[in-house]
Amino acid sequence: MRGWRISVLLLLVSLVAGADTPRHWKHDDRGVLIVIARAPVKLRTWKNPYEGQADAIRTGEKLYRQHCAECHGDDARGRGRAANLRMPGVQNATPGELLWFLRNGNLAAGMPSWSGLPLGRRWQIVAYLKTLRGQFLLQ
Amino acid sequence: MFPALRFLLSSLRLVPAVVVLAAGVFSVSPRMAAQEPPYFVAYSHHLEEPGNLEIELNSVYATQRGGHDFLAPWAEFEYGAKGWWTTELYLDAQSTFGDSTLFTGFRWENRFRPLLREHWINPLLYVEFEDITGADKTMKEVVGFDGQADHAEPNAVARREHQHEVETKLILSSDFRGWNLSENFIGEKNLGHAPWEFGYAVGASRPLRLAATPQRCHFCRENFVAGAEFYGGLGTSWNFTATGTSHYAAPILAWQLPNGATFTISPGFGLNGNSHRFLLRWRVSYEIGGFGKKIRSLFR
Repeated sequence: MRGWRISVLLLLVSLVAGADTPRHWKHDDRGVLIVIARAPVKLRTWKNPYEGQADAIRTGEKLYRQHCAECHGDDARGRGRAANLRMPGVQNATPGELLWFLRNGNLAAGMPSWSGLPLGRRWQIVAYLKTLRGQFLLQ
Repeated sequence: MFPALRFLLSSLRLVPAVVVLAAGVFSVSPRMAAQEPPYFVAYSHHLEEPGNLEIELNSVYATQRGGHDFLAPWAEFEYGAKGWWTTELYLDAQSTFGDSTLFTGFRWENRFRPLLREHWINPLLYVEFEDITGADKTMKEVVGFDGQADHAEPNAVARREHQHEVETKLILSSDFRGWNLSENFIGEKNLGHAPWEFGYAVGASRPLRLAATPQRCHFCRENFVAGAEFYGGLGTSWNFTATGTSHYAAPILAWQLPNGATFTISPGFGLNGNSHRFLLRWRVSYEIGGFGKKIRSLFR
């Protein structure tokens, strides 16, 4: 029975340990969040094969709601320590950088890696995210 | 009675519960969708998303030479504690036809990602503590000289043996062009007086369609993931060998619903005389997004 109690206690501790403090968002000289700008330079020029395609954008929105909205909100304006995806620090990033960031995440800060999503689906999410540009201050 | 028919009849008792569960699963609003590959034994480097809780109900049915067939269900509660750490609690049970049904113990598992970025091959460290009886038949891994004969003992005898074990795994996993390839090397140590026991598990899987479609659909190909896994024992630190132990091959099919529920099924086939001839594993899982946040808000 002692093993049981210790396990339940450790499980509760791990739940509470999941709490993190908000971070200050830093930018590089292009106005891109540092955590995204860490992408290899060669990826900056990658083109999104779905860019501007209405079907892909609708699909990206569907995938966003399935995988991202829980933390970033249905309107993508962020919640708590999850970034507002409409802010310039995200929207100034190139599609290639956003794709890299989706693949790697920022595990230390709580953003999971989405490398388990096939490449095509990640590009579809990027296509949707790019449609949010210019809506940072709009309600 | 023919074992498969007996199994079918015993499963019919579960029909009302399955109908209620299915109704619930189809009616909830779309939310979290998991990205983990569909393996039962092998692990990939994909962890639970931080703050999410995945509840899984699993079961394995196995034919038994020289004994009664059995059904071994287990429940899993998988929680993403951090982006690099997933912790999981298992509750195991089993029901041997013509014998008895019993709770066989619990396991507490932790998986850690030492490298915080994606690489061609991604390592993962796995540590598990098990407090189970000798009657446990979930076969979450095959190690040492595990074989089907171990499961032929009557429950009344097998349950007397208590196993306090630490299990470690080195998990290597890669994603390439929609495929996931995972290789696990398993080492298990009884905290009493026994040598290390070793085992392996490898798995490969791929969604039937890589890009998604704009419609919210239940039966489109993007919601299905197919794969296969192979697993077996590798002897002990005193006798490292692939002979005298059991090995299995198991194709897998998973169906991920848009609302976060996943159904997975996997028939398994024993590859030598020490293995069960046939296994049938299945799982229903559901992911609850933001579970940790909701729990923490209760303490504020």
